[in-house]
Amino acid sequence: MAVLPPMRGAGTPTRDEGSEAFDRGRSVLGVDPGNDAIDLVQLDDQTMELNMGPQHPSTHGVLRLVLELDGEVVRECRPDIGFLHTGFEKSFESHTWQQCIPFTDRMDYLAPLFNNLGFSLAAERLLGIEVPPRAQYLRVIMCELTRVASHFLWYGTSALDLGATTPFVYAWREREKILDINELISGVRMHTSFIRVGGLLADVPDEFYALVNEVVKTFPSFIDQYELLITKNPIWMDRTRGLGVLSPDDAMAYGATGPTLRGSGIPYDLRKAQPYSSYDHFDFDIPIGSHGDVYDRYLVRMREARESIKIIGQAMASLPGGPVNTSDRKVALPPRNEINTSMESLIHHFKLVTEGFHVPHGQVYQAIESPRGELGFYIVSTGGNRPYRCKVRAPSFSNLSALPHMVRNELIADVVAVIGSIDIVLGDVDR
Amino acid sequence: MLSRELPLAVISVDEEVGELTILVHVEHLIGALTLLRDHADALYRVPVFVTAVDWPDREPAAPRFDVVYQLRSIEHNDECRLIVQVPEDAPRLPSAERVFAGMDWHERETFDLFGIEFTDHHDLHRILLPEDWVGHPLRKDYVSFGEPVAFTHNLEWALPAAERPRDMPGESR
Repeated sequence: MAVLPPMRGAGTPTRDEGSEAFDRGRSVLGVDPGNDAIDLVQLDDQTMELNMGPQHPSTHGVLRLVLELDGEVVRECRPDIGFLHTGFEKSFESHTWQQCIPFTDRMDYLAPLFNNLGFSLAAERLLGIEVPPRAQYLRVIMCELTRVASHFLWYGTSALDLGATTPFVYAWREREKILDINELISGVRMHTSFIRVGGLLADVPDEFYALVNEVVKTFPSFIDQYELLITKNPIWMDRTRGLGVLSPDDAMAYGATGPTLRGSGIPYDLRKAQPYSSYDHFDFDIPIGSHGDVYDRYLVRMREARESIKIIGQAMASLPGGPVNTSDRKVALPPRNEINTSMESLIHHFKLVTEGFHVPHGQVYQAIESPRGELGFYIVSTGGNRPYRCKVRAPSFSNLSALPHMVRNELIADVVAVIGSIDIVLGDVDR
Repeated sequence: MLSRELPLAVISVDEEVGELTILVHVEHLIGALTLLRDHADALYRVPVFVTAVDWPDREPAAPRFDVVYQLRSIEHNDECRLIVQVPEDAPRLPSAERVFAGMDWHERETFDLFGIEFTDHHDLHRILLPEDWVGHPLRKDYVSFGEPVAFTHNLEWALPAAERPRDMPGESR
């Protein structure tokens, strides 16, 4: 089989050997299957199947696409996913509620705190507890920092896909500062598990305030720099404008959410529409696009990052004091000094550590606005110390399902731009 | 609204932690979804997800699987959840992909992980797991982890998979 340029007329993906498309290609060519290495027969009215990925730098993870090409034009695109499927939903069912939190980190690994938050909010709604205001504000601050980090990473890698190397280096430099904050508050840079059911891992250390205030102060000018690099760059504009257009109706029909939906001009943001975790206390705008193309999604993300920094600034300015965990001793561990003096607290501590808390019977769907869109947790509880069923509604999954629609009749070189623009994380798609 | 327009479709309506759950007859599912999408009072035009919940221990008469459809209305800023029950011996129901294009992949995922068939789906095959995978992992009777070592306290693990009791020591670890 040809290693480099795939032959015209024959299916090439190695995993598809023996598949219908592969055999069809061969029979049209009249190729002996045992000896089909080189064949330059030109056929008219014949499309070519091209395998892209899973190990491809521009698919942002292990995504495989089978593209049906007519010349350089994509006639059909069939995504093949599941390479990162880990069965987290099954694992949830055999772990206590609090033990599920580290799993959630590892789904959308570029926005782990959002997954923590979604799961915690869903469990808290079933439990009927409210976390203290300080915890809610810190959750908002950390989530918005993560959103900025995620959008920066997206900016760097997407620009890199289209040949711009500088943005990548700049964006990662600033993302690093946010990862430093993660490390400061939780000890790890990515899979923090900082947000727990009932509150937070711990209160933030004193150094936290200076670092976050620095972010609030300096990041708007960094975003100015980023925009200076590519927003008006003729190459970037030529490559992205009018490409991968998703109409508002199609965006809704495919269940696209987040910047992909807002790029199509629908101002729907769960932080405004169904405020959770005190988002209604903050003043921010929902940026939307007008054409629904790759360029609009880029503009929406850059403006969203600015709005996030606005939110962080407001939250830091009015950060309330007090505890960061619920006072409900059936859910959150009692403080250390209480355990020494109170028998009741000792029992609670023992029960929470050994078997975890029990969540009342019921079902709940809690959706939050992650950097990629609507991240939802549908949880069914039968009153046990483990979720009976936990379905993760991953934004990347639905957004990616609209990809074939977006790349149909576009050029093959533009497929990477469109994949970049929907900002998928394959851990989130496959779970 | 649904019980007014399609009274035959609705079995029960339930509200829990502020969320609406409607239990619907399977033969009226597509009608109900279409109505919820198009009716001016509903306009649930965004398919949020499709999934299933396995209840193997229900009374014998009750169907084993709940298939869950979550819909969102951007116009009315509202969500609702439809549940359809399908039995274990015939786990199939009509596909909703013609009502919502976005349900295509979610139905494939439900098929993949639960083995529930969506009858007129255009391309129903596994989506997350490899094509040659055996079984449907999110069913409760699918044992989720590999081959544990059988000690004296869990000798049941030495049995072939089919002969193992349903609840076994160590399963939660």
